[in-house]
Amino acid sequence: MSLKIDYNDSWNLIKKVFPILDESSSKQQEASENEFYKTLSVIENLNLAEIIKTMILTRVEREIRESYVPKFWSYFVKVENYEEGFFKFSKAINFIHDCFMQYGSLFLKLKILNKKLLPESNIYGNEDPVDALRLLFRATLLSQLPIEHKDIIENFYIIALSEENNRDIADFFNLSQQSENNYNLIFSETNRKLNKLDLLEPLVGQVLTSLIYTTIENHVQKTCKDSFDSSYLTTLETWLETVIIPWLQTIYCSEYASVNEEAVKRFQRKLLNFLYETYAKVRINQLFNIIIEFPESLPALEDLRLCLQKTDLRSVLIEKLQKSMETRLLHPGVSTPDILTAYVASIRSMRVLDPSGLLLETVTQPVHQYLRSRDDTVRCVVSSLTEEDPNDLAEELVRGNAVHVDENALSDEDAENWTKWMPDPVEADPNKSSNIRRSSDIISMLVSVYGSKELFVNEYRTLLADRLLSQFSCDTEKEIRYLELLKLRFGDSQLHYCEVMLKDVADSKRIKTHIAQIPEYSENFNMSAMILSAQFWPALKDEKLEVHPKIKEQMALYTKGFEALKGSRTLAWKNHLGVVDVEIDLPDRKLNLSVTPVHVTIIMHFEDKKEWALDELSRVMQVPPTILRRKMGFWQSYGLIEEVKPDLFCLIEEIENSVSKAASEIVEDYESESAMASAQDQRKEELQTFWSYITGMLMNLDSLPLERIHQMLKMFAFQGPTIECSLQELRHFLDAKVREHELVYSGGLYKLPKSDILT
Amino acid sequence: MKVTIKNWVGVATWKWVANDDNCGICRMPFDGCCPDCKLPGDDCPLVWGQCSHCFHMHCIVKWLQSQQVNQQCPMCRQEWKFNNK
Ligand SMILES: [Zn+2]
Ligand SMILES: [Zn+2]
Ligand SMILES: [Zn+2]
Repeated sequence: MSLKIDYNDSWNLIKKVFPILDESSSKQQEASENEFYKTLSVIENLNLAEIIKTMILTRVEREIRESYVPKFWSYFVKVENYEEGFFKFSKAINFIHDCFMQYGSLFLKLKILNKKLLPESNIYGNEDPVDALRLLFRATLLSQLPIEHKDIIENFYIIALSEENNRDIADFFNLSQQSENNYNLIFSETNRKLNKLDLLEPLVGQVLTSLIYTTIENHVQKTCKDSFDSSYLTTLETWLETVIIPWLQTIYCSEYASVNEEAVKRFQRKLLNFLYETYAKVRINQLFNIIIEFPESLPALEDLRLCLQKTDLRSVLIEKLQKSMETRLLHPGVSTPDILTAYVASIRSMRVLDPSGLLLETVTQPVHQYLRSRDDTVRCVVSSLTEEDPNDLAEELVRGNAVHVDENALSDEDAENWTKWMPDPVEADPNKSSNIRRSSDIISMLVSVYGSKELFVNEYRTLLADRLLSQFSCDTEKEIRYLELLKLRFGDSQLHYCEVMLKDVADSKRIKTHIAQIPEYSENFNMSAMILSAQFWPALKDEKLEVHPKIKEQMALYTKGFEALKGSRTLAWKNHLGVVDVEIDLPDRKLNLSVTPVHVTIIMHFEDKKEWALDELSRVMQVPPTILRRKMGFWQSYGLIEEVKPDLFCLIEEIENSVSKAASEIVEDYESESAMASAQDQRKEELQTFWSYITGMLMNLDSLPLERIHQMLKMFAFQGPTIECSLQELRHFLDAKVREHELVYSGGLYKLPKSDILT
Repeated sequence: MKVTIKNWVGVATWKWVANDDNCGICRMPFDGCCPDCKLPGDDCPLVWGQCSHCFHMHCIVKWLQSQQVNQQCPMCRQEWKFNNK
C-alpha cells in the first residue's frame, strides 16, 4: 500500500461507495464489497469517519425533507369518498415505505462504518443507524403535518372498522363484497408498514382513538336508546372485547411489533373506561325518565350504579338531575300529586344508585324545598296515604318501619352491622351523621320536609274527620286497619285522637240501634246522630242554624234516648252538619234527594208557607241573609223556588207555572264544604275576641279607617303574648263583618250600622 | 208540596252534665279523660260526691287512696261520700 495518498482518487472511491455524496447526476455502477472495505480504511487513515457520517446524514435529511415528505403529504388532499381516501392513504404509506427501504444498503454501510470506526458514537441517540433513519423520517413527517391529514387517515380506518363492526355500515359506504378481500389485504399491509416505520402511534394513534371513541359513542347510543328495562353493561363489554379489541390487535400486532401487545392492553383499559363513561353519561342524560319509569327501569339503574363506581361522574349526575327536575317537575304546571309520585320514584331510584343515601339527600333537597312552598303538600301526602287505590306512598307505609324520632341515637341494628360500615362519600355534609341518612325512609323523609310529625298527623286527623262526616256510611273497618298501620309508624300517642274518632263512629251506630228499638224515641222518621267526643275531633265549623220545629222535636227525643242510655250525659247538636234523605212530592213529579240540613230546613219552611221574605226566613232560621240566599239557589236550580220580587221568594209547585225557566240556571256553587274549621276560620275566631273592642271604638268615635283600628287594637288589645294580627288579616275580618251586616264600610271608613247604635 | 224526611243523620257532640268543665283534680276537661285513660265517656266516667262536686272516677279514687286519715273531697274538704244518684 502506497503511503502517498491520492485525495482525488480517495474522494471518488468514497463517492462510489456512498453515492449519496455524489452531487453529479452521473450514474455509476455499484461499488463492490472489496471497494467498500478499501474505502473504510481510507476513511480511517484520513480520520474522516465523523465527517463522512455527518455529510451522509445531512444529505439524507435534506432528501427526506425536500422531496419525500412533501410528496408523501401531497397524497393528503380532499377526497370525494371514503374509498378514495382509503387508497390514497395506503399509497402514501407505500410511497414512504419505499423511500425508507431505498436507504437500506446505504444504512447497512453506515452501520458498519459506525461500528468499526466510531464505536463510541451514536446517531441521534440511537446505536443502530436504521433506528436513526426511522426517527429521521418520523420527525420530518410530523414537522410538516398538514392540517387536513386526519381526514384521509380517518377514511382509511373507518372503512376497516365498519368492515369489522357492522355490514350495514359497509353497505352504507357502498363497499362491494368482492372488494372486501382486497381491502383486507391492503389494510393489513399498510398497517404492517406503519409498524415497521414506527409511525403507527405518532401518525395514526390520535385519529384512531377518536375514531374508536366515536364508534363507542354511536354504538352505546344505538344500543340503549330509550330502553331502560334491560341491562346492557355486559353486552357492551362483550362488544368491546369481541369487536373493537381484535380489530385493534390486527392493527398493532403485526410481525414487527409483538411488543405492542402491551400497547393494546393499555388501549383496552382506556377504551373500557371510556365505554363506562359514555354509557353512564347516556344514562345520566336519561335519568329523569328512568326515575319516572321506576321500577321497570331498575336494570338501567343497576347499570348506572356499576358505572358510577368505575367513573367519576357523581357530580355530573347531581347537576344534571337537579336541572332536569327543575325544568320538568318543580314548576307551577305540575300538580302536587305528580310531584309526589316523581319524588317517591326518585327516592327509590337513588336508593339503588347509592345505598349510602347521600345522593338521595343531595338530589332531593330542591324537591323538599319546593314541596314545602306548596300549600297542599301535606294534604296530598296524607290523602294518597289513605287512598283506596294502591299507590307508592301507601305501599311505603305498609312496608316501612317506625319513623326515627331520636335521630342521634345509635340503633342496635347499626351496632350489629358494624362490619358493613362504609365511609361517607367525599361530598358528604359533615354536619349530618350518616346514621340519619341511612335510616331515612320515604315517609319519614316526607315528614321531615315539615319538620314535625304533629303537622302530618293533624292533617290526617282533619282528613279523617272530613271523610267520616261527609260519608256517613264510612267503611270504619278499613279506616281502623289503616290507623293501625299509621300507628306503627307515627306512634300510638300521635294517633290516639283518631282512634277515639273511629270509636265514636262505631259507638254512634250502636246508640242508634239501641234508640231505634224504643218506640217512644223514634216517632216519625229515622233520626240518628253521629255523636262526637268533641275534645278529640278537630275544631268543627260553628255555623248557626235553627232547624224546623218538627226536626227540633225529633232531635230532642233522640237526646232523651241518649240521656236514658248514658247517665249524666247529654247531646249538643250541630244543627248545620249532617245529611238528610228527603222525598219531595209535587203535583207533577217526585224528587228524592240527599241534602244538607240547611237545605231541608228551607224547603220545610216553604212547605208551611209558600212565600218568604229573605229577612224573615233569615230570622227564623238564624242564618245570615247572604248565606241563606246562596243556599236557596239550590232549590232555585230545581225550579222549586223563585225570587218573584227582590228579596221575596215563592214556592213554585208546578213547572208550567214557572215565570221564568231561566231560574234553573241559578245553581248554587255547591262546594263540598269541609265540616272542619279552616285555619282562616280559626283566625277569625281569635279575632272575634277583639270584636267588643272594635264595636266600643266605633261607638265612641263613630267611624274609623282600617289603619286606625289596627293601631288602637295594637295599643290596647294586643298586649302580652296573645296574638299578633296583620293589617291584612284585620281587613279580612272586618270585611266579613261588613258582609254579615254587622259593619258598614263607606268612603274608606268602617262604622256600625244605625240600628245597632239604637239598641 | 209534601216534604217527607226519610232519613236524617245529624251530628252532635256529647257532654257530661256537670257544674264544671274541668276535673278539679287533673284539670283535664270532663269531656276528655283522666291522664291514665285513652278513651273518654264510658271508659272514664265521672262520679259525684254528696257535696255535689264531681271528678273523673279514676282521679277521685286515686286521690282517696292517697289520703291516709280522712276521706275528704279535694274541693270542699267535706267528708267524701259517693252520690249514687
Ligand atoms: Zn280528672
Ligand atoms: Zn280515667
Ligand atoms: Zn266537694
